[in-house]
Amino acid sequence: MGGVDVGGGGGGKRKSLDSEINMIPMIDLLMVTISFLLITAVWTHMARINADAQVPGPPRPDVEQEKTEPEKQLHIEMREEEKFVLVWKQGSTTVDSIDVPRKDVVTQEGAVEVVRFPDLADKVASEWKAKGQHSNPTDRKLDQAILHTDNKTEFKYIIGVIDAVYGTHRDIQLGPKTEKLPAFNITFAVN
Amino acid sequence: MAITAPTRRLMHHVGLEFVEKKIQGHGKRPLAAGLSLTSMIDFLVVTVVFLLMTFSASGETPVAKGLNMPKAENTLDMIDAPIVVVVGSQILVDGGPAGNTRPIEESDRMQRIDELFNLLKAKRELWKQTHPTKDFPGVVLLQIDQEVKAVIVKSVFQTAAFAGFPNVSFMVNNLPKSAAH
Repeated sequence: MGGVDVGGGGGGKRKSLDSEINMIPMIDLLMVTISFLLITAVWTHMARINADAQVPGPPRPDVEQEKTEPEKQLHIEMREEEKFVLVWKQGSTTVDSIDVPRKDVVTQEGAVEVVRFPDLADKVASEWKAKGQHSNPTDRKLDQAILHTDNKTEFKYIIGVIDAVYGTHRDIQLGPKTEKLPAFNITFAVN
Repeated sequence: MAITAPTRRLMHHVGLEFVEKKIQGHGKRPLAAGLSLTSMIDFLVVTVVFLLMTFSASGETPVAKGLNMPKAENTLDMIDAPIVVVVGSQILVDGGPAGNTRPIEESDRMQRIDELFNLLKAKRELWKQTHPTKDFPGVVLLQIDQEVKAVIVKSVFQTAAFAGFPNVSFMVNNLPKSAAH
């Protein structure tokens, strides 16, 4: 038995303030709690990677459309085996085109093959620093990246490229605080 | 019952001389060992606190059997949304069948998956009816095996978008950033 002295006590006929905690049920309770938490614990952490399917809304003839200059978009071509092609386009005009040698870093983690493209991630980051249009923390709009892939590419390679693009972060002010969020929003090319 | 002074009582009732000698020590280490309750309870309490802090009451998103999700570093936290699973040649929406990928594989051409489209559209309509005052978030989670071909990924992606779910997220296993370098 464990004793707990809660102070006081006093003299005479007053009841003692010292009380005892029974250790056996207490340890039992702790053990049962630990067992329950261990059994229900989740050891794999799932997450998500965002993509935006830019679907235009229905045409509204009653609203006059403002003529705005199209924004620069980064097109990422991953159709070729030996290189990526990064193309900055403004509307249908090609602004710049850069070849990035493709170096797949593939590691095996259990049953999953993790594919990474560190060279592509570095190049996308430097390209965004040079040509990105939305870098001000108060600007919540993101630069747009469009992924072009052939039909045969496996999903793990697509995720590898999306992960490399999302490796570029910038400060975005959300209310009173500033957070580091991906600089690009990615979507798939239809063709 | 007579009151006796506290002493070691373990195995005293056995009544055998060699057992008596063993438990009393007699030059050797006694079998009865003392356990410090304070440190044991400290350890248990720390373990309980750690496990409680890492406990997730919301449970875990189910992963389809035989599906290996890819891993990624730059991820976002999970959200509550309909889950479209692509495993083998099957397409499931929240566990129910929603089409087959075989026609896409055979034609090797991106196309709308009608069954998936109708199911997602019905889900969207239901959400709008149950939340008439709120804007529809249009979020859908795609749980796709790492080996699935891009033509299927793009077909599912576009079908979801046309069914009114333009905010598509791919489910991945989180890869710690430190492990990547």
